[in-house]
Amino acid sequence: MIEWSEQHRMIRDAVRRFVAAEVVPNVEALEHGDMPPYDIFRKMLSTFGMDAVAKTRFEHMLARDRAREAGEAQPDRESEGEAGDRSDSAAMQLIPIIELCRYCPGMVTAVGVSMGLTSAAILSKGTLEQKQRWGLDLMTLKKIGAWAITEAGSGSDAFGGMKSTARPTEDGGYLLNGSKTFITNGPYADIIVFICKLDEEGVAARDRKIVTFVLEKGMPGLTQSKPMRKMGLHSSPTGELFLQDVKVGPDRLLGGKEDSRARSGAKDTFSLERSGVAAMALGIVERCLELSVRYAKERVQFGRPIGEFQLIQDKLARMEVARMNIQNLVFRTIEAAGQGRRLSLAEASAMKLYSARVATEVALEAVQVYGGNGYMSEYPVEQLARDAKALQIYAGTDEIQISAIARDLMAR
Amino acid sequence: MKIIVCLKQVPHQDARLDIRSDGAWIQEEGIKFEINTYDTYALEEALRIKDAAEAEVVVVSIGPDRVTQALRTALGMGADRAIHVKDPEAEASDAIGLAKILAAIVKAESPDLVIMGMMSDDGNFAAIAPMLAGLTDMPHTTAAVKVERSNGTLRIDREIEGGAREVVELRSPCVIAVQTGINQVRYASLKGIMAAKKKPFDVKSIADLGLGGQVGAAAVKVRIEKISPPVKGERAEILEGSTQEIADRLVGKIKELGLL
Repeated sequence: MIEWSEQHRMIRDAVRRFVAAEVVPNVEALEHGDMPPYDIFRKMLSTFGMDAVAKTRFEHMLARDRAREAGEAQPDRESEGEAGDRSDSAAMQLIPIIELCRYCPGMVTAVGVSMGLTSAAILSKGTLEQKQRWGLDLMTLKKIGAWAITEAGSGSDAFGGMKSTARPTEDGGYLLNGSKTFITNGPYADIIVFICKLDEEGVAARDRKIVTFVLEKGMPGLTQSKPMRKMGLHSSPTGELFLQDVKVGPDRLLGGKEDSRARSGAKDTFSLERSGVAAMALGIVERCLELSVRYAKERVQFGRPIGEFQLIQDKLARMEVARMNIQNLVFRTIEAAGQGRRLSLAEASAMKLYSARVATEVALEAVQVYGGNGYMSEYPVEQLARDAKALQIYAGTDEIQISAIARDLMAR
Repeated sequence: MKIIVCLKQVPHQDARLDIRSDGAWIQEEGIKFEINTYDTYALEEALRIKDAAEAEVVVVSIGPDRVTQALRTALGMGADRAIHVKDPEAEASDAIGLAKILAAIVKAESPDLVIMGMMSDDGNFAAIAPMLAGLTDMPHTTAAVKVERSNGTLRIDREIEGGAREVVELRSPCVIAVQTGINQVRYASLKGIMAAKKKPFDVKSIADLGLGGQVGAAAVKVRIEKISPPVKGERAEILEGSTQEIADRLVGKIKELGLL
């Protein structure tokens, strides 16, 4: 794939029209007001029939799971269907991300964590009963999801420093304790995937099994904080979760058993999250470039448009190189989906590392092209620069991506 | 019921327009195009009739390869079939030539209704709909802002001067040219866009329509001589003072110019 197809462009134009009509007039309220991002996205889902597509996908998934449980052979999910349909379906997920990130990367972060991360965690590791109970509501954003792994003392070393615990109780349930921070959608989440350690007698803290539970808003002992103030991504509500003796039954233990695969489960989820970041970066870079080119033509200094100065041209040219590279990475993701192949963790990490760094660079250079205006909130590059920085930190910091890539290289 | 919607693809409203070297039109290379705004309302009106009753919606457009995208978008929004008249001769036609092409299609298709925008965003001639009605001997109306159907009759509200409305009744088959803003134009759904690929899409030449020699450059009666960008004003006057003073002076200026 070297260019968007006619069909992709049609999807892009339709989504762009929606974003212009529904998101752009609300950016101020989303970023600096009290408007949570969910309702606009729900409207987008129903406008484009994405909710119906998600429902069909969910039903197929369940039918496959049921057949598997009944012992019938099932084709691998990734290799099902026509290659063209598979790549179109990947493109259909990525194009709205790109378009929204041109204006509001925070919205993509919030919704992505709910519909992507949280639902993927339940749908890939949950029992059939758990998928039925929470899956569809998350896939269609009827319910808001949060994926809670980070703690004050455990970020990149998510499992090592993790203090949250699940203590088995005599009735077969668990008592959950601990606190989580920087949780996207934390303040509004209806469904929370809570990752913690099994508190077993005689097992050292570092070697404890990782277990995951599905919690719901309003459970006794669960407190969801107000949104935290942060540098960027203001459209994405981030909060803390406090658990004090939250009592859960075994039906909320993800996957139904205390096996140690929860660690690799979390890693699969990372891979998905990382490839999505490239699409986000593309949206940010595309818009920064467009705005910078326009400004370079309009802004006159020393009697000439600043675009005629070579130092500005250098910035614009570098931005275009970045745009082409990130777009190619997005095309690669779509091609891989077409071939029924999922990107490896190392590949996804390499994509994420490059895209996030370059998006931050491009957005900061866009601020520089705009000069004093660029530093003012009135101009959109200011917001995009603050938002882009988060891409280098969440979903695994740059440093973590580098170790994932290097580990993979050294293992060859 | 069969409805034909005529669409024109025009330069995107955000496109940067430069004048072609012969001065008679804009440079079309490298700019983005979109469906003429007026025509999107016409398409939406047709799709609403389809939603309320059984109807086949056929979209028709004249133009080069790029027009495919406009027609596919219309199919993605819910139209059933597309006809693309692709012929360099067709593109060189004036309004009457284009109306003859559309008339040939209308005669072959025998629709119950033809809907289109009342004018194009780029040309602003507002000529095609009345010409097409004349050539096909169908009743027509322009500047439609409301369309209601009952038993083969269409009741149309037309916009006339000063915001007043005129109500006309037309017998089907007829031609309706719509005003903008008369409905909320839908978005193509993702499923619709995916399905658009598989919908019937006919490409026709002037020869296919039996119009050889009757349309195109040789038959042109109206030719665009020259287009020019709007002239930039020489000076602007900045009014200063308190809000009240500025308002008073502004009213004074308007009165001075005899505009109030």
